[in-house]
Order: sequence, then structure tokens, then C-alpha cells
Amino acid sequence: MRKYGFLILILLAVQTTLLADSFSLSFSQNMTNNLFQNRFAERDQLSNLSFYMDKNFSRLSLFAEGKYSYLFENSNLAYYIQDAGLDYIFPVDEKSAFYFSAAGRGMFYRSEYSDFNYFSANFFAAFKSYLNQTSILKSNYSMDYKNYRDSVFDFISHSVMVSFDKYFQSKTTLKGEVDWGYKYFSSPYIYDEVLPVETNPSSMGGKGKGNAHGSNPNVYLIESQSEGQGIQVFSLSGLIAQGLGSKIGLRLTGMKQWVLSGQNPFFFIEEFYMVENPTYDRFSWEGHQLGSQLALLLPWNIQLKLGYTVSQKEFPGIESLDLEENLLGITRKDKRKQIDVRAEKNFPRFSVFASYFYIHNSSNDIYFDWSGHFFAVGIEWNIPLGGK
Amino acid sequence: MVAIMWIILFLVSLPSFGQKTENFYNVDQEIRIEGKIQNIVMEPRYKDKSPFLIVTLEEKDTKKLYTVEISPAGFFDQDFHKGEHLAVTGSLTSSGEMENNIIAREVQSRGETFILRDKHGFPTWRGGKGLMGRKGKRKGKRF
Repeated sequence: MRKYGFLILILLAVQTTLLADSFSLSFSQNMTNNLFQNRFAERDQLSNLSFYMDKNFSRLSLFAEGKYSYLFENSNLAYYIQDAGLDYIFPVDEKSAFYFSAAGRGMFYRSEYSDFNYFSANFFAAFKSYLNQTSILKSNYSMDYKNYRDSVFDFISHSVMVSFDKYFQSKTTLKGEVDWGYKYFSSPYIYDEVLPVETNPSSMGGKGKGNAHGSNPNVYLIESQSEGQGIQVFSLSGLIAQGLGSKIGLRLTGMKQWVLSGQNPFFFIEEFYMVENPTYDRFSWEGHQLGSQLALLLPWNIQLKLGYTVSQKEFPGIESLDLEENLLGITRKDKRKQIDVRAEKNFPRFSVFASYFYIHNSSNDIYFDWSGHFFAVGIEWNIPLGGK
Repeated sequence: MVAIMWIILFLVSLPSFGQKTENFYNVDQEIRIEGKIQNIVMEPRYKDKSPFLIVTLEEKDTKKLYTVEISPAGFFDQDFHKGEHLAVTGSLTSSGEMENNIIAREVQSRGETFILRDKHGFPTWRGGKGLMGRKGKRKGKRF
């Protein structure tokens, strides 16, 4: 399976390179004082180099995208992602259309993190229809399958979304959205005892300060039975957007998510800055999130976005620990505040951006009581290969 | 089986290598207009291409109507509505039945800029992949 997957990715990458209609290169430099997002903040810098290309055949297009990410202090976490796939737009009439895509991904980490290497397949189908000139109905279905080197993380997930929006003459848009998702871990299992952690200061959160939390896959103990385990989530979202001409936009968003059945099969859950962690995704929590964003077009056509987000998340099945790793008998619950600023300037052939995030996360698991600053600057260069 | 299908797809697409498409964008005819959306449709514009998101825009000062070609993927990427305010920079390509037609290069709406073509008119959109988060500017943070 993996051999075929790799072959397909290589073929598609070569194919798309030869035929590309569009090609773009991007580079970003990212800095943070808390790479592993925990109380033992660790500084690092990440350099990302990525490319994107596609080729269109009537309503069908092939695409390939690759990204290499290098970490200066934690070089063992460096990784390469290769995506390739195809998509297709099928118009029903002048107001409605279907969209389908099928894609594969290979994720390759260096050394200790290689247990998180995976191949994945994704199928996505969407439908959009203008019910009238001021109302849009959208729905989509997504299927994801990930096959990790360490099979305890293997899963298949299904998601369905339906949304409806309405634009009013006051230049206000209201939008409501309903999401349902199911994620099935195909082979989680119990370790009879805690596996010894091969602490490597260069790859462990908190530099191996005596806590089992970290980036080594062996420390994500599974507390499930040997057969598969599923998690089912359901969420409601709302959006209010207000336009003030073409240069100012304001939006408020809210989301509430429930776990309908199942729970996380992991011992704990982590998020890393710009490095994917298989224990965390939209299925791992329930709670709510509120956000606001102001978008401005400044002189010299500079685009500025200011955002503020608060969230409260509970992680079913995840018990909080103290710093000595004693179970506290309570489910982990996090409250997060985030401020973000992003400025972008588009030039004729390339665009540049600078962004800054500040996050404060408070948790009843003291290890995840943390705050962090995240800076990024980047450039994207578009190289036309097709016709006008 | 899946691998075989993908390989077949790879092979059948090879003959189209080197195909040229017609040049529609004229940089000498570039204009910028602002106005309100009057109508939104998706319709075919070019042979063997996906249908385009087409917006009818009423120019703010003159009340003149322009037909604006956004992009094929734009139908799924952009949720425009009738009555919304847009600023469009693009090439005016009035000819025959297509009077006051603009091929959009840049669209501004709700404080955001959407770049659709480079300054020479070459497309910069990416299929329909905005739906999967592959399109657009990366925030650089996975939350």
C-alpha cells in the first residue's frame, strides 16, 4: 500500500511539473518562543520552502504541492510533505455546481519523529447553490484516511457540513453552519506499562525536564481496547459579517461543538507550532470558540487583518496530570485567548506577508498552562506557465 | 486498482503537453471600477475550460453595467452576493455580444484583496482547491 502510494505521489509530481499551467514558490521564516506549546517554553525558528503547481484539463485539474520545513534548534523534527491529486468542477446550472477532489499526501519526518510519518488519502465532494442572489446554500462531505508508520494513530474519518447564508441590504451577512464528523481509530491498543521514554533533549518539549509529555510518539500512551475506537462530533457555527465599502470588513464568529460518542484514545494531547501532531484535531475536543476579525485595506494596497479569538475546550478521555505525572481525576480543560495580526502586500509577480500571534492558554493540566509569541514573514512568487 | 487508475490518468493526459491557450487579457485595456453587484452566475466562457464565476457590476458613478469574469474556482472560493460592494481591476474586452466585459485581475471586497491574475494577465488561481485549504495565503499556524 505504502509502496503504491509513494509511486503515485512521484508520478503525479513529475506529471504535473511537465504540464503545469501555474507554478508558485513560497518561503517563510517563522520564529517562536514556545515551539511545543507547553509551560517549558522552548525557542525555535522554522524555515519553510514550498511549491505548488497545477494543470487544467477542461473541468479537471491535477495539482501537486510540496513543502520542506526545517527547524533550527530541533532539526530532528524537520519534515517534508508532498501532496498530489486532482479535482473536478461539475456545473449543474448557472447557479449551482458540484466540486470533487481526490488527493494523496506523504508526510516524512526525520529521525525520532518518523513514527508520525504517514500516507493519507482524501476525498472531498462539495455542492454550492445560489438559492437567490442574496442566499447561498453550501454542503460538503470529506473522507480522510491516514496510515501512519506507528499504526496506533491510523484512522479514517468522515465529515458532513451544511451551511446557509443570507446577505442583507444593510451590508450584513448572516451565516449558519452545521457539521457532523466521525473518526475511527482502526488499531489503538493498550501498553501494559509505560514505555521508557528515550529522552532526546533536541526533540523533547521542555528539553526532557522529567515530564512524560513530549514529541516522542512512544509517550502517547493509548488507553483503549485492542479493537477500533470511534469519536463522533457535532457542531453549530454562526457568522455575522459587516462590510463597510470594499476597504473594511468586520466579522464575528461563534462555534459550539459536542462529542456525541466516544473519547480520545490517547493518554494526553499536544499541539506543536507548525508541526502536525496526530493526537490533536477537530475530533479531540468539545466546547466553544468565539472570534472576531477586522480586515482593512490600507494605503499602498496593504491588507491588514486583526483578530481576537477566545475558546474553551474540554478533551474527553484525557485526564489532567500534575507535574509529577500523577492523575488528578479530572478531564483536561483549556481556556485560550489569541490575538493575531497579519499584513500582506501584493506586488505584480509576488506577495509578501508578516504575521504575529500571541496565545495565552490556561489549563487544569498545569503542563499546558502556557503562553507564546509567534512571528512569521514570507514571500510567495507566482510563475505563469500557461496561457492568459 | 487505484494505483492503476492513476497511472492511466497520467498517461492519457500526456498528449496535451505544449498546448497553447488563447490570449484574452490585454494589459493596455486595464481599468479599475467600483460598484455594486447586480447579478451572479456561473457560465462557460472558454472552450475546454471550467465555467467562470461571472458578476454583473453596476459602476458607482456612471451606473453603467459591467460583466466581470472572476475565475473558474471563484464560484466555490468567493461567496459574493447581490448588493455587495466590489472594486475590480481588470482588462476591458468589449467586443461583439460581450460589451463592457472585464477580465478581473484583482478584486477588493470587505477589506480583502483577491489576486486572480498577475500584472500581465496570467492566471494565479489554483483550480478549485480553495475548498480544501490548499489555496490562499497560509497563516503558518495549525490550530
